[in-house]
Amino acid sequence: MTFAHPWLLLGLLAALIPLVVHLFDRRRPRVVPFGALMFVLRSQKRTASRLKLKRLLLYVLRTLLFLAVPLAAAMPSCVDEAKAQAAQGAAATAVVVDVSLVLRFRADGTPLFDEARRQAKDAIAQLRTDEPVTVLPCPSSAAPLAPGFDKVRALASVDELLPTASPADLNRCLDAAARALDDSPQPNRRLVVVSPFTSSSLRLEVPAPTIRGPQGTPLKPQVVLRDVAAERALPNRAIVDVKADAAPQAGPKAWQFTVTVRNFSDEALSDVPLELRVGGVPVVKGFVDVGAHATAQKALTHRFQQAGLTRVTAALPADGLADDDVRELLVPVPKDARLLVVDGAPSPNKYKDEAYFVVSALSAAGSPVTPVLRDTEAAWREDFATYDAVALLNVEAPPDEVAARLEKFVAAGGGLLLAMGDRVDPDVWNRRARGLLPRPFRVVKTAVEPSAPEAQTQAARVDTLSSSHPVLAPFSGEAREGLLALRVYRYALFESTGAADDVLASLNDGAPLLVAQRKGKGRVMAFATSLDRDWSDAPVRTAFLPLVQRSAAWLTASLDEREAAKGRVGDTLSLTVPDGKQVGAVDAPSGQPVPVRAGPGAVAVGPLPEPGLYAVEDTGGKPLPELAFAVALDPLASDTERHPAQSVRAWFGEDVVLSQGGGSGGTEAPVWTWLLVVAVLAFFFEGVLLRS
Amino acid sequence: MALVDATMLARLSGVRLRARAVVEGVLSGLHKSPHQGQSVEFSEHKEYAPGDELRHLDWKAYGKLDRFYVKRFEHETNLKAVLVVDASGSMAYGTAGLSKLDVAKVLAGALSHLLIRQQDAAGLALVAQGRLAELPPRATPSHLNHVLGALETATAAGPTDLSHVADALAERLARRSLVCVFSDFFDEHEGALQRLLSLRARRHDVAVFHLVDPAELEFPFDDPTRFLSMEDERNVEVNPREIRESYLEEFHRFLDETKAACGAADVDYERVRTDEPLDAVLLRFLARRGGGRA
Repeated sequence: MTFAHPWLLLGLLAALIPLVVHLFDRRRPRVVPFGALMFVLRSQKRTASRLKLKRLLLYVLRTLLFLAVPLAAAMPSCVDEAKAQAAQGAAATAVVVDVSLVLRFRADGTPLFDEARRQAKDAIAQLRTDEPVTVLPCPSSAAPLAPGFDKVRALASVDELLPTASPADLNRCLDAAARALDDSPQPNRRLVVVSPFTSSSLRLEVPAPTIRGPQGTPLKPQVVLRDVAAERALPNRAIVDVKADAAPQAGPKAWQFTVTVRNFSDEALSDVPLELRVGGVPVVKGFVDVGAHATAQKALTHRFQQAGLTRVTAALPADGLADDDVRELLVPVPKDARLLVVDGAPSPNKYKDEAYFVVSALSAAGSPVTPVLRDTEAAWREDFATYDAVALLNVEAPPDEVAARLEKFVAAGGGLLLAMGDRVDPDVWNRRARGLLPRPFRVVKTAVEPSAPEAQTQAARVDTLSSSHPVLAPFSGEAREGLLALRVYRYALFESTGAADDVLASLNDGAPLLVAQRKGKGRVMAFATSLDRDWSDAPVRTAFLPLVQRSAAWLTASLDEREAAKGRVGDTLSLTVPDGKQVGAVDAPSGQPVPVRAGPGAVAVGPLPEPGLYAVEDTGGKPLPELAFAVALDPLASDTERHPAQSVRAWFGEDVVLSQGGGSGGTEAPVWTWLLVVAVLAFFFEGVLLRS
Repeated sequence: MALVDATMLARLSGVRLRARAVVEGVLSGLHKSPHQGQSVEFSEHKEYAPGDELRHLDWKAYGKLDRFYVKRFEHETNLKAVLVVDASGSMAYGTAGLSKLDVAKVLAGALSHLLIRQQDAAGLALVAQGRLAELPPRATPSHLNHVLGALETATAAGPTDLSHVADALAERLARRSLVCVFSDFFDEHEGALQRLLSLRARRHDVAVFHLVDPAELEFPFDDPTRFLSMEDERNVEVNPREIRESYLEEFHRFLDETKAACGAADVDYERVRTDEPLDAVLLRFLARRGGGRA
């Protein structure tokens, strides 16, 4: 028998009230001489036995009432676990305690974790002194300890448990617990599982855990199931994903947030309010309908007012599991950059005009710049200071005066992109605008004529890529193939400077294809071939659009507002550290420091303990807001759908499951409800007896 | 009819006044009765014989017939009545102004007044503490004073023992008499009532006045009470609410059985509540017995 509120048992003293009243209530009766006493005597004699029984019944009923009420208030429940354990003999016990996100679910205002902790301690307290025990939180990266006889330590370890924000893998934890039990010399082994037994945490399609028998044969351990949810459903809805995409169709700095909401309950949800907050202020609201056990998406669009890394929050009204009703993310809102595209060889056939391909790429969704197309005559009249970057495409070398203005523009922080073509004369460029070039031109080399039948095989290919450079950062892994497939028929050769750190991509003959340098406060990038189909097939390659957009972003310094890193709870995140910066510490949203391991050009942060925005500081404790990142929950952690109790029992094996917890472990029955019924019946019959 | 209720009688002091008030009430009622009569009525003529009272000679008959005839009157066959008053302890109980004994005294006094007034002989038998105090029946007006005086001094005490009275009366009443018994009949002796009623078998005319207090009829007690016996040392502590139903059942059964026993023995039975007008009780009794003759 266990009690939820044992101190209320003091109320049992009230059961003495009827006895005390009976013993000490000596009210003086009225004394009346009465003529017909013989009839009083007869009546008293006649009713004496009945009255005696009635008084006894009243005493019993009142005592029962005073016993039942405080007993019910103490909320007792019966456990026959000791009986089961006694029948099985002493057993080494491993208590597996689910500490996953689902345990933060609040049922009746109390987190399930409180019940889990109580049941784990109850399970340990019920063990006999000759039964060793170990406690395993799940999930946990630490290896379980061998069972020991120090129950105080085991209870303390339960007290130290905290609910995590990760999903549980009960199968793995049970296997680990079974291995820990293998080390015990006790002949009997027992697994006590304290969990709500959600579908995502326990996979029933894999074999149940086994322990090693005397001859090494696998045996099923005894199992005690303690259902902390007391077989109740745990209805939950969660934001399982938020996808942020630029939405140029909705205007500058417009972004579309596609929020995925999952309903983990048996009832369909309609008109669930969904809110988007920027910097903590609600900016967009919508409603979403989600069927039972279904997923729905809702797109919300917002135009930002300011550029930079912006904190965005998607939120649903809080339910039983409030942690997954909010999703934080950081959005790199680009600044309004303008790029002057100077078309050195305008053509009525747009497919033969490199400016067409470049402007198209820069006009596509997600472009960091707004292209402005000019021919050379018009371009030379422009005030370059009104642009963030200038792209000279197949332009004959600019006049001296223009070259000087361009040099001044670059030195002041502007960006300059050079792309080759038939009109480019390397000698003239070297003579007029040497200061603009990352490297002096040498000659133009033709690998093969584009019209030659063997053009595809004899064309130059991209051989090396510097994916550490922000321009080529997306071209890693499979995306690298997009650039490697590029075929270059003709290209300009640069003079060698001895240093190769400015070469982003090289061809198979070692000639630089893409050269980028910083000049003063500005940047210069040279593309050794044309950006139309005259010298290469770049425009028809999948890498063309991201390459052009990334190049424009780098030239306009938009990439400095780097894309925020993303991570999931439990992951270890690799954080790229800009040159000249050093990461000293990373703090979780709750302020908890997160382990940081330094590496070349990057730091490994993790494991990430909770969702939300993480703050990064340098070694001097100065905040590095540009390195802040958002961490999301694993959608599996939000899955509160539960296995039927019978399925779980069957999976472990009906023959080895000693008992199944309803409310407080073992075969617990909520006795207090029956006690309340008894109290009400006692009160009713006491009234009936008094009136009879 | 001017009814004389117990409250009014309680304000009067002594049996004489109370009995007189009742008698006046009774007489007032009798005048309105079509059955009014006289206690002394001509019955027949008898030829004079030596020894007859000369004052009863009918001189008119002598004038007509020249023979001496003596008038014979009915009162020469005078009723002899014995009024038995139970003065046991329980008769002292009273909640309506007068105790049962007071009511018995008034009724007995008034009845003796009426009897003697009509030349009948009235005697008194007071039963107290198992002893019988008797005044033999007389028809003289002075005897009324003796009767009333004896009633006046009677006090209630001791247990009820009607069987003793029945035996004594059966022994002493040689001539057919009217025996009026005023009692609550709380006699726990086996067959006491039957022995009293057996007087009827000896050709005595028996009338029973069963005196009942309203509190005995209704048992109006609520709080825990210790009831004391009025005849001995017995007492009992009970919660009246718990036994009321049973008590009333027992008591009414006792009343019914007493009445039934009287009916079976051809004994006139009159239940008297101590809070009801006593002249009405007597009128009811007299009317039942035929025009005012007791």
